[in-house]
Amino acid sequence: MLDNIPILSLLVFSPIVGILALLFIRSENGRLLRIVGTAGTALPLLLAIWLFSGFDFGGGRQFAEQALWVHLPLPTEFVPGGVQYYLELGYSLSVDGISLALVFLTALISTMAALASFSHIKKRWKAFYIWFLVMEIGMLGVFTAQDLFLFFIFFEMTLVPLFFLIGIWGYKEREKTANKFLIYNGIGSAFMLLAFIMMITTGGFEIRETANSADYVYTSSMETIMHNMVSADSYVNSAAYAQSPFHLDEGTLVLIFFLLLLAFGIKLPIFPFHTWMLKVHTEAAPSVVMLHSGILLKIGAYGLIRFGMQFFPEQIERYALLIAVLGVINVLYGAVLALVQSDFKLVLAYSSISHMGIVLLGIASLSEIGVKGAIFQMVSHGFISALMFLLVGSFYERTETTALEKLGGLAKSMPFMSSILLTAGLALLGLPGLSGFISEFLVFVGLFDTRPVLTVLGVLGLILASAYVLRSVLRITYGSMDARFAEVKDARLIEAIPMIILVAFIVLIGIYPAVLSETIGTAVTDIINGIGG
Amino acid sequence: MNVIASYLILAAILFCIGLYGALTKRHAIIVLLSVELMLNAVNLNLVAFSRWGIVPNLTGQIFSLFNMTIAAAEVGVGIAILIAYYRSRGSSNVRDMNSLKR
Amino acid sequence: MEAVYAQYAWLVPLFPLIAFLVLLAIGRTANRSGPVIGVIATLASFVMALLVLFEQTAEGGMAYVWNDLEWIRAGDFVLAMGYEVNPLNALMLVIVTFVSLLVNLYSMGYMKDDPRITVFFSYVALFTFSMLALVISENIVQLYIFWELVGVCSFLLIGFWYTKPEAKAAAKKAFIVTRIGDVGLFIGILLLVWNMPGHAIDFTNIGNAFASGDISGGLATLIAILIFIGAVGKSGQFPLHTWLPDAMEGPTPISALIHAATMVAAGVYLVARTYPVFEASESAMQVVAIVGAFTAIFAALIALTQTDIKRVLAYSTVSQLGYMMLALGIGAYAAGIFHLFTHAFFKALLFLAAGSVIHVLHEQNIFKMGGLMGKMRITGWTFVIGALALAGIFPFAGFWSKDAILAEAYASHPVLFWVALITAFLTAFYMARLFFLVFTGQSRAESSEAGHAHESPLVMTLPMILLAIFSIGAGFFNIPGSDRLAAWLTREAPEHHASVLVMVLSNVFALAGILLGWLMYGKRTIPQDWLSARATWLYRLSYRKFYIDEIYDYVIVRPLRVFGYFLHLFDEFIVDGIVRLTANITLAIGRAGTRLQNGQLQTYGLVSMLGLVILAVAFVGWRFVINAG
Repeated sequence: MLDNIPILSLLVFSPIVGILALLFIRSENGRLLRIVGTAGTALPLLLAIWLFSGFDFGGGRQFAEQALWVHLPLPTEFVPGGVQYYLELGYSLSVDGISLALVFLTALISTMAALASFSHIKKRWKAFYIWFLVMEIGMLGVFTAQDLFLFFIFFEMTLVPLFFLIGIWGYKEREKTANKFLIYNGIGSAFMLLAFIMMITTGGFEIRETANSADYVYTSSMETIMHNMVSADSYVNSAAYAQSPFHLDEGTLVLIFFLLLLAFGIKLPIFPFHTWMLKVHTEAAPSVVMLHSGILLKIGAYGLIRFGMQFFPEQIERYALLIAVLGVINVLYGAVLALVQSDFKLVLAYSSISHMGIVLLGIASLSEIGVKGAIFQMVSHGFISALMFLLVGSFYERTETTALEKLGGLAKSMPFMSSILLTAGLALLGLPGLSGFISEFLVFVGLFDTRPVLTVLGVLGLILASAYVLRSVLRITYGSMDARFAEVKDARLIEAIPMIILVAFIVLIGIYPAVLSETIGTAVTDIINGIGG
Repeated sequence: MNVIASYLILAAILFCIGLYGALTKRHAIIVLLSVELMLNAVNLNLVAFSRWGIVPNLTGQIFSLFNMTIAAAEVGVGIAILIAYYRSRGSSNVRDMNSLKR
Repeated sequence: MEAVYAQYAWLVPLFPLIAFLVLLAIGRTANRSGPVIGVIATLASFVMALLVLFEQTAEGGMAYVWNDLEWIRAGDFVLAMGYEVNPLNALMLVIVTFVSLLVNLYSMGYMKDDPRITVFFSYVALFTFSMLALVISENIVQLYIFWELVGVCSFLLIGFWYTKPEAKAAAKKAFIVTRIGDVGLFIGILLLVWNMPGHAIDFTNIGNAFASGDISGGLATLIAILIFIGAVGKSGQFPLHTWLPDAMEGPTPISALIHAATMVAAGVYLVARTYPVFEASESAMQVVAIVGAFTAIFAALIALTQTDIKRVLAYSTVSQLGYMMLALGIGAYAAGIFHLFTHAFFKALLFLAAGSVIHVLHEQNIFKMGGLMGKMRITGWTFVIGALALAGIFPFAGFWSKDAILAEAYASHPVLFWVALITAFLTAFYMARLFFLVFTGQSRAESSEAGHAHESPLVMTLPMILLAIFSIGAGFFNIPGSDRLAAWLTREAPEHHASVLVMVLSNVFALAGILLGWLMYGKRTIPQDWLSARATWLYRLSYRKFYIDEIYDYVIVRPLRVFGYFLHLFDEFIVDGIVRLTANITLAIGRAGTRLQNGQLQTYGLVSMLGLVILAVAFVGWRFVINAG
C-alpha cells in the first residue's frame, strides 16, 4: 500500500495544507484560525502514525524517495583539463528507526504545542500558525532528508520561523532574544554550510561513466558522501579521487568533524555555547518553547549522531573522550546552576543543558547501549520538556509569574495541574517507571565500561537533579497558598488533553521501553557496526 | 631656484588654503569660494607649465580659460542649489547639510 | 511438589496496583468507597501472600523463577523482567501485606475526616504495590526500579499534608537523602552489569557468581559496599539516617508503614537478597556490622532526649535497623531477618498506638501528655506490649530475635556484643520513659481536649490488638533449639549460638533500663533533670541529634549553594560576558563606522584627503625603500 505513494514527501509537506487554509481566513476570525491551525498539525501526525504502522522494524532505511533537483554545469575555466564538471543537488528522503522516532516525536509535539497555543497565544493567530506550520515542515524535513543540501535548507527553514515566533509572541525581551538566537544559530549554520561544502567537494566527487562520455559530478547525496568518507582508503585509491581537484586528507576530515561538532554543539547546546538557549527558554512563549526544547534541541543531537557518528567513525572514536568530558561538564554544570535559579523557566533551561549532557555521554560511549540511551534521552526529554513548558504556560496564564519565590501552594487550587507537574518533575529526575530513567540507565551502563570515572561523575548529576527538581516543583505546588491564587481555576479541557497524552507517552516508554527500543534497534546497530566496535 | 618653482609653490599654497577652507568653513558660500581658490591654484599651475614646462605650448593657457568658464558655471549651479537649500531649510551652514547619510 | 501458588505470586502486587489505578480514576468523588477498595485489595494480596508462604513452608517447597518478559535489549545486553519466589521473599510478602492491611484498616479511622482520603489510600496502595514488587523482583535492576518507586511513594506520603512547610521539607529531604544512597546502588549495578558473565544480573546468577568466587577480592568488596550504601540510605543507617526522623511529618499510619514493613525494610531486604555478594568479602561484612552497631547505639542515644512521641519511635527504628544490619554483618543472616520479622509487628503496633494517642489529643509532645492509661485502656495496654517487645523482655517477640543477634555477636564479635547490649539497656530506658510520661501520672495537657480523651474506634484498635498478639507470639517461630525459621530460610541446618548467659544478660540490662525509667519518670524518686542538669552539653548533644543536620547543612548544602551562586555569576558574567563583549566590540566597530558616515561632505573630503596622503606617502616611501635596497 505504501509502496506507490511518496509518503515521506506527503508527510513533510503536509503542513502546507494547513498554511493554504489559513491564508483564506480573515485574520480577525481568531477562533477559526486557531481551529484550522491546530487541525493543520493533525495531518502530519496522522501521516506519521501511518508511517509508523508501515515501518519494517527489522529493515534499514525505508520509504526512500529520490529525484534529481539541481544539475548545474560548473564554469569550465577554473577546472583543469577543460572537462565539464557538474554540481548535482538531489531531493532525497528516507527514514531509518532513529529518524522515524524523531519524526513521530515532532508530529506529536507539534500537535500538542498547537493545542497549547490555543489558549496561550493571544494575538495575531494567523501569522503565528503559518510560521508554526512552516517550522514544522522544516523540522520534519531535517529528520528525513538524505541529502546535505536538502538537510541544510530544511535546517534553515526552522530558524527563520522560530526567529519570528520568538520575536513577536514572546515576553518582554523577545526581540533581543530573537536576535541572539538568530546570531548564534546563524553562526552555527555558517559552520555547517562550510562543512557541507567541504564534504561535497571532497567526498561528494565522483565520475559517472556513460556509454560515450564520463560525467564529473559533485553530488550532495549523503549516501555517496558517507560511503566515500567512511571508506576513505578505497576512495583515495579510486579513479575518481585522482581527478578530484580537492583532496580528502586526514586534516580535512578532522576540520570538517570539528566544524560539524561546533555547528551542532551550538544547537544542542554544549557548554559554553548555551547562553542563547537560556534566553529563548525564558523569553519565548511557552508553546514555542515546547517546540524549541522538545524538538529543535534534538536536531543538534540528531546531527551529532547522523553526521558525527556515521560520517566520521574514526574521528568520533578518537575524540570520544573530549565529547564525554563535555557531556559531564554539561550534566554537572547544568544541574548545579539549576539548583540556584529563582525562575522556574531557568531551572528548566539549565536542566535541559544537563539532560543534553547525557545525550553527549551516550554518544561518547560508542556502544550500542549508550547510543540507544542517547536516543531514548532525546525522545524522552522531548516529551518531558514539552510537558513542562505546557505546564509553565498554563501556570503563567493563571499566576502571571514564574518566579519561584512568588509561587507556592498551588496544589490546593490546582490539584490536577500540580499532580501533572509533579509527575513531569519525577520524570525529569529519572524516576523508574517514567521515560527519563531508561535513557539515563542505558547511557550510564553504556558508558561505564569504557569510562567509569566520568560515568560516576555523571551519576552524581542524578542527586543534583532530584534536588533541583524537588526544590522548584515543591516550591510551586506545596506549602501554604498565597491568597491571590485561591480563586484560580484548574486546567481547562484543551490544556488537560495534551497534558494527559504527554504523560501517557512518558509512562508508556517508562514501563515498556521496547516500543522505542525496537524502533531504533536496527539503525543503532548499523551505526555501531560502522564504527566497528 | 628656477622660476617655475615659485609659481608652483604659490599654487600649492593657494591650493592648501582652498582645501583648508573647503574642509573646515561652516558657511556654504565660503566653501564655494574656497573651491574656487583651489581651481585657481590649478589654473596657475596650468599657465605656469604652459610657459616653463618641458614642452611649452599654448594648450595649458587655453585649458585654464576653459577651466574658468566651467568654474563660473559651477559656481552658478552651486549658488542656485544653495539658495534652494536655504529656502527649504533656512540655513546655509554646511554642518546642517547631513542628509547624505540617508 | 509443584509450585502452584508461587506461579501466581505476581498477583500479590497486582491487587494494590489495581486499587491504585481505580482510586486514581475515581478521584475525590468516592471518599466513602475509596478506603474500602484499598482494604479489599490489600486483603486479597495478604491472602495470596499467605498461600504462597504456606506453599513455601510446606515440605519440599521450592523456589520459583519466571523471567520471560524481555524489557529492553541493546547489543548483547538483554534485560528481562520477571519474578521470583523463595522463602525470604515469601516471608517478606506476608509481612508487608499484613502490616499494610492493618495500616489500611487503621487509616479508615485515622484519616476519616481528611478531604483527600482517597488520594491517601491511592498513595498507600501504590506504596504497597512498589514494596511487594520490589520483594519479588527477579533481578537487581528490577529491584532498583521498584526501590525508587518505594522512595517516591514515601516522599508523597511524608508530604501528604503538603501545606505544612515541615512536611514539604521532610518529604524533600527523604527523597534526596535516600537518592544519595540510591546512586551508590546504581553504580553498584553498573559494576555488576559489566562484571557479571553475560551481563546476567538476576539474583540467582549474582549469587552463584559470588559464591563460586568468579567475582571476588577488591571488586567484590567494592560492589558490596556500593550496594550497602543504597541500603544505608533506605534503611536510615548512619550517616544517611537524618531523613527518617523527619519523615514523622507524614500521617502516623504512614510512619507505621514506612518504619515497619515497607521503606526501611527494603534496605535490610536488599542486603539479605544480595547476601552472597557480602559473603564474598570479609571487609564488606565488617563495614556492615560496624555501621549497624554504631547506628544502633547512636540512634538510641538520640532517642533518650527527644520530646516528640513519634521521633522517639523513629530513632528507635533507626536503632533497631542498626541491629538488623549488625546481624547481617556478623553473618547471622537468619537472626537479622528474624528481627526484621518481629520488629515489623511491634514497631507497627507502637506507631499505631502513638497515632491513636495523637488522634485523640492532637498533641505530639510527651511532656504535654500523661495519665492516659485510665482513659485509653486498649491503646495503653497494647503500647505496653509493644514497648516490652521492643525492649526485649522475655518472652515477647523482640526478646527472641534480639537474643538471636546478641548470641551470634557474643560468639564472634565481643566488642559489638557489648555495644548491642548497652543499646538494649538504652532502648529499655527510653521506652520506659515514653510509657511513663504518656500513660501514667497527671495529665499535663494545655488544651481541654485531654480532659475528655477517650478510646479510639474499633477500626483503629482492632489492628493494634492483632499486632499485639503477634508482638507476643511472633518470637516463637524461631526459639533457640528449634530454629525453624532459620532452617527454612537458609535451607540448611543452622548453627547454634544460643547461650543462657546472653539471655540473662540481655534481660538484666533491659530490666535495668526499665527500672531506671520507672524511677525517673514513673515513681520520680530520681529527679528527671538529674543528668541534664549535671551534663548540659551531653544532654544538648543528644537533644540536637549530635548536630548531624547542622553539620550537613554547613558542610554540604551551603557550600554547594554558594558554589551554585558562584557558577551562576560565572555563567552570567564570564560565559555570557564574553559573548556580550564580542557582540559589543562588533557593535562598537560598527558605530565607529557610522560616525564616519555622518553625511558631512567636509568630513568625507577630509577622510579622502587623508587617504590620499597616506597612499601617496606609502607609495613614495615604498619606491624609496626599493631604490635604497
